[in-house]
Amino acid sequence: MDEITSVFVTESREQLEAMEAALLQLEDNPDDADILGAVFRAAHTIKGGAGVIECGFLVAFTHVVESALDKLRNGEITANADLIALLLACSDHMGHLIGVLESGTAAPGGDLQTDGDALLARLQRDWLSADAVGAAAAPAPKAEPVLSSGGGAVETDCWHISLRFGPDVLKNGMDPLSFLRYLTTLGRIERIETLADAMPAAEEMDPEACYLGFEISFSSDADKAAIERVFDFVRDECALYILPPRSRLADYMQLMAALPEDSMRLGEILVRVGALTQAELDEGLRTQSAGTEPDAAGEPHPAAPLGEILVEQHVVQPELVEAAVVKQKQVSDKKAADARLIRIQADKLDRLIDLVGELVIAGASVNLLASRAGQADLTEATSIVSRLVESIRDSALQLRMVQIGETFGRFNRVVRDVSKELGKDIELVITGGETELDKSVVEKIGDPLMHLVRNAIDHGIEPPEVRAARGKPPRGRLALNAFHDSGSIVIEIVDDGGGLNRDKITRKAVERGLIASGQSLSDNEIYGLIFEPGFSTADRVSNLSGRGVGMDVVKRNIQSLRGRVEVSSTEGEGTRFSIRLPLTLAIIDGFLVGAGAASYVIPLDTVVECMELQAVTTERNYLNLRGEVLPFIRLRNLFEIDGERPRRENVVVVRAAGQKAGIVVDQLLGEFQTVIKPLGHLFRNLRGIGGSTILGSGEVALILDVQALAQLAAKGEETSLSHNQTGRNSLAN
Amino acid sequence: MKTIFLVDDSATILLSISGILTKAGYGVEKASNPQEALKKFQAGAKVDLLITDLNMPGMNGIELIREVRKLPNCRFMPILFLTTESEQSKKAEAKAAGASGWIVKPASADELLNTIKLVVR
Repeated sequence: MDEITSVFVTESREQLEAMEAALLQLEDNPDDADILGAVFRAAHTIKGGAGVIECGFLVAFTHVVESALDKLRNGEITANADLIALLLACSDHMGHLIGVLESGTAAPGGDLQTDGDALLARLQRDWLSADAVGAAAAPAPKAEPVLSSGGGAVETDCWHISLRFGPDVLKNGMDPLSFLRYLTTLGRIERIETLADAMPAAEEMDPEACYLGFEISFSSDADKAAIERVFDFVRDECALYILPPRSRLADYMQLMAALPEDSMRLGEILVRVGALTQAELDEGLRTQSAGTEPDAAGEPHPAAPLGEILVEQHVVQPELVEAAVVKQKQVSDKKAADARLIRIQADKLDRLIDLVGELVIAGASVNLLASRAGQADLTEATSIVSRLVESIRDSALQLRMVQIGETFGRFNRVVRDVSKELGKDIELVITGGETELDKSVVEKIGDPLMHLVRNAIDHGIEPPEVRAARGKPPRGRLALNAFHDSGSIVIEIVDDGGGLNRDKITRKAVERGLIASGQSLSDNEIYGLIFEPGFSTADRVSNLSGRGVGMDVVKRNIQSLRGRVEVSSTEGEGTRFSIRLPLTLAIIDGFLVGAGAASYVIPLDTVVECMELQAVTTERNYLNLRGEVLPFIRLRNLFEIDGERPRRENVVVVRAAGQKAGIVVDQLLGEFQTVIKPLGHLFRNLRGIGGSTILGSGEVALILDVQALAQLAAKGEETSLSHNQTGRNSLAN
Repeated sequence: MKTIFLVDDSATILLSISGILTKAGYGVEKASNPQEALKKFQAGAKVDLLITDLNMPGMNGIELIREVRKLPNCRFMPILFLTTESEQSKKAEAKAAGASGWIVKPASADELLNTIKLVVR
């Protein structure tokens, strides 16, 4: 695909998204001129671009859509649900056509063509047909005046062009000569006479005004419309008469009458340019002066009124438009801020961020060497460098940050379509659309989100009758929300539907052998079961969800982004899914700790505090943090590091997803900019480790997955506690 | 070298027209929205021709033409606008705002260059 086509494809997809969003807005505001304008503009831009890259099938389809939108914009038809649905279908089809273009196929396949034709037929039949006839009739070419009298044809093979430029031509930036030059691209100017008759005396002459006229004898194969088009730009301010070869003498006479100059003088000129012979001129003049028939003279269009109309236009136009300008001004000021964007290929950004990552690693090793050398000024210089590197890192990552709003926006359509299909009435509420996260994360979160949204519509929100029976408003509510929370982004999908059914899930889990019957589980654990592979509580498989490729895939996708998904629910009131994702997949601020000879990185944003581990009084792994129970784990135990524990151990208190835990380490080594290198496939299922990084010394350090560790710490405590209890119980028995 | 300033919100059109113009030996400056263009002209930019689209979000091409015409550095600058067969009614309005002429999209390279020669000397 060449560059321009790929630019077009990207641009058109954006335009289609804008068009779709505007169409959806139109449902609620069918008369809003701004929205109508936006829809039209999107189609218009796509058609324009398609024309440029000569993609005929897309032009043809979009043209009809654009016509309908134009009618809509002009208020000739009004948008209703049918039309909007049809236009949405058309915009989908345009998306398919762009896909065809992208794939490099010359024309859409049979099915696609049939679909497109069907859509166009519906547009034509229901929305364009009645008016289409009228519209076609309206711009019918003006009939050329036909003269009924006036002798035979003039013997010449040349066109005759009479041209009188208006006084403002020069002021408007036009050079009369350039039109004559342009004319020669169509044929040959055989003869030309310049008329300066309109030129006033020197003291009255306006040096900026044009007083010139031309009589031209022109040989060309072009048709009259083409010749006229040459003068398009000055058409309404100049007098132009074009007589085809072999025009009737009467036509010339009429021409002479129409022109401002004296007939006798004009006649001479016509003879001089070879348009007429002297004999023809004489005959013509004789007929004219003798002309008793009132129609023969056919009152010509005097040139003066044209000028007057023009003046009028100049006076009226600014005022007319001024009001509209003021109104649009406020809108445009706001939009101007949005519009200052630069388009950059994503690969280039990725490359930059890779390089910044390498820079960070290289910087760390320079720091290390500097501190070993122990030279104060060297250490100072490197610390400035590393501060700058840090800023560069942040700015570079910022470049790749995009708002999640665009992703959310896509769900308007999904919710609308799916709820219609299911006969439900659902309102989508979007908040926090301006929350930013890394583009690479945004790209991958779309599918899991889509699945959760569809699930909420299909299984979560009840049909209107059921809702009414339960005393809820018949219109369901689905909310998408996003916000930042300690270095992560949290995305919530909240519905006000029936909620998860504890008993049903438990029953199903027992059936599937996921849990033993009679096993008592907390609410969270039960809800967590829906993420197990092959788990579906849907009794029937609907068109949308319940096909078994379910929540476990969602969970896996989110985990592959180093994220977590959690669910909470109240039966009868609704369900809330929260997805917690890291803001970026590339570089983080880390906290470096040591255990044995190895170093580990804890993401800095999860660190709450650090302190010395006081003598632990019990065998159990928790400590008293100012009256709070803090479960902890020892890295030495976790990673089975041999050797003597140091005299002094430290605890790093971390918090993840609302849970606090302690991580016991040997040494605290301080903050460290961490470039995340993903672990290989082999380690995909390893819990507790989120990745690896390279230290300044060239050694590898593992990055701890704090949330998993915190859970592990809490769970470890829980199990040991319940073991103790069962132990005690069995003893009692 | 003659310089032409091109304003269009469609990246496709910008790319294609600027390609044709560069090949024909013109210098090309581009803006993807009228506000940016207006700002450059207000800052005193002088070019030999302005070509602008009419249908753009926020500020339309006609407003741009009207604003630009008021600037002393643009008083005599020829202005062409891009239009389509379906927008005939806009021509009068754009001309009244100060445009010199128009180019009907999609235009062949020859049509484009011939039209430009009409207004750029």
